[in-house]
Amino acid sequence: MTEQMNYQTGPAGPAPQYRQPSMLGNLVKAEFRKTTTTGLWWGLMIPTVLIALGWALATGAIGKGLMDVVTSEDAEQLTDLIGISPDQWQVSLFGMARSINVATIFPMIFGGMAISNEIRHRTITTTFLTAPTRVAALGAKMLVYVAWGAIYGLAIVAAVSIGIAITSDVDALPSAGGWLAMAGVGVLSSILMTMFGVGVGALMTSVVGTTVVLLLYMLIIENGLQLVLSTQGLPELIGFLPNGAVNGLTGSVASSLFLSTAGVVPTELEDVLRAIAGALGAFDWWLSGLIFLVWTGLFFLGGWAATQRRDIT
Amino acid sequence: MHDGSGRIVVQGLTKQFGPVTAVQNLSFTVEPGSVTGFLGPNGAGKTTTLRMLLGLVTPTAGTGLINGRPFHQLGNPARVVGAVLEAQGFHAKRSARDHLRVYAAAMGVPDQRADQVLQLVGLGAAGDRKAGGFSLGMKQRLALATALLGDPQVLVLDEPANGLDPEGIAWLRQFLQSYARSGRTVLVSSHLLAEVEQTVDQVVIVSRGQTMYYGPLDNLRQSQRSRVLVQPSDTGALVTALQADGITAIEQVPDGRIAVTGVEAKQVADTALKAGVSIYGIQEEKADLEQLFFQLTNGQYAAPGVAQYPPQQPGGGSGYYAPPPGYQQPGYPPQGYQQQAGSGYYAPPPGYQQGAPQGTPPGTPPGTPPGTPPGGYQQQPPPPGQQQPGQGGFGGGA
Repeated sequence: MTEQMNYQTGPAGPAPQYRQPSMLGNLVKAEFRKTTTTGLWWGLMIPTVLIALGWALATGAIGKGLMDVVTSEDAEQLTDLIGISPDQWQVSLFGMARSINVATIFPMIFGGMAISNEIRHRTITTTFLTAPTRVAALGAKMLVYVAWGAIYGLAIVAAVSIGIAITSDVDALPSAGGWLAMAGVGVLSSILMTMFGVGVGALMTSVVGTTVVLLLYMLIIENGLQLVLSTQGLPELIGFLPNGAVNGLTGSVASSLFLSTAGVVPTELEDVLRAIAGALGAFDWWLSGLIFLVWTGLFFLGGWAATQRRDIT
Repeated sequence: MHDGSGRIVVQGLTKQFGPVTAVQNLSFTVEPGSVTGFLGPNGAGKTTTLRMLLGLVTPTAGTGLINGRPFHQLGNPARVVGAVLEAQGFHAKRSARDHLRVYAAAMGVPDQRADQVLQLVGLGAAGDRKAGGFSLGMKQRLALATALLGDPQVLVLDEPANGLDPEGIAWLRQFLQSYARSGRTVLVSSHLLAEVEQTVDQVVIVSRGQTMYYGPLDNLRQSQRSRVLVQPSDTGALVTALQADGITAIEQVPDGRIAVTGVEAKQVADTALKAGVSIYGIQEEKADLEQLFFQLTNGQYAAPGVAQYPPQQPGGGSGYYAPPPGYQQPGYPPQGYQQQAGSGYYAPPPGYQQGAPQGTPPGTPPGTPPGTPPGGYQQQPPPPGQQQPGQGGFGGGA
């Protein structure tokens, strides 16, 4: 009962300014344990890596096939004629961008489970009972899912890099600097996708609903919208849509890197290249990132506000 | 920071879920050192009240304070109050030990504490099993273990006996009593008085979202006067004789007997002998606590004159369910029962309660049981208006 005595003389305990950071540290530790004590993280990590690797292998092979045609004896005369030198083309960049975009679907789903799963299993009750405030609990969760977004991002970048390296020609691979840039935006887009998922999950509160909505939107609905926009002559709007923006993050970097080393490329071809990179209508990478950050913030803050005020019954 | 008193103060709590008033102007105080039962039929608003106290549900009006503070100002709340709200709240795929280690981290207690509480609730051997495979009783134990992780000063349990086997219930009973005896506060809700009767010292009885009674259980027992059923040869003569002795609480029972309240059988027999009335049968009827609880939580039983009750009220046991919202509106006609002798403990009818103190017994019998904290509810100031939401009159003792 000596321990009990401590509580009863509690007011004389540590000063609040000392208590706050350690409390947040505790909550971050708790949130991290939540993610590591169930199988979800590796259950999603396996398909993430497989998809990233598979897409990288395939796109690398397609790129290689394409380059074999373009650099063949027959095509050389043509390329010489229009004044381009395809032997410098780092086509693997497009494959990397595409593969990263596809694989980040999984960290987004992982993020979507963050709050909806707690509501489903009703662990949210204990989570709120063991945190000083809901702001603190959700803040800790946000930090942990940023970290998980980065972990997934690193895994994706690693798998994509391995896949591309296996099937691409050495000439088609990006320079060290280019690779670093792709890795950077890859991790960044994975983090943002995760947070986007967290926000949608917090708003929807249903595990199945969140997963279905995220997948449907990212894989089907927005692609339909993009198709409509581009045929209506409004491709510049695509860059404002969530998927268009996040794809622009990697796609824009890929096409910029490509163009910077490709030598002379006719301007008409640039849009085609951006489309190949999955960044048609997208803005510069940083602007795309900012636009997607706004989307993420919108859903995340909306989900946060909803969770903050929700009656846990 | 909180005042460390271990006191729970609920002041004028009200919760409106759309058109449904789940809790209406509920007020009570729970003191440390005793187990307090929070009783009421299903749908009386117990769970909503506890969740408002724990900051999970935002009240429409009123406050719930633990140690003089709202939940969100407790700092590290799980070190002050532990709660068992439902036998759920576990990720099906997470092991019991991992579940506890997650929340041990959140409240900043060492990981060994997880194993300690597992042992404490008798789940020592099941720590590595996934919570999804647990029986209801095991989940209840795990929920209790979670509540105990932070070694809290205040323990709040919502229907903790659900799913427990008799052995588990006996264990829980003993555990809660010893927890309270160490100077801590235990508030345990139940819809069955019998379930907690042997555990609790104090009770808060709610019905239709309102406090019907709060105070020591013993006072409630004493308030339930026994009555004597007599079959006299001459009813009129016996009634006259009893009235001459100053005994007026006499009723005619449908079977022809008369019921005399507040006296012992011996006294009635003596009076009858003096009056020269023969007694063909006499029987002392001690109403049990369960019946009293039933009366308190069912308006129609509390009123002897059933006709006084508004006709909308369906008969029978329907009072067990939450009434339609219209019932809880002010202006609910007062019932006859407040005129009854000895019924001073009952809260006045709803129309009456707006802003008035609830359940404050006028004149607590001297036999306040040991274990009642000094100044227990007698501290509650009887003048009306004192319990208005926002008044800080309760924290004063801390």
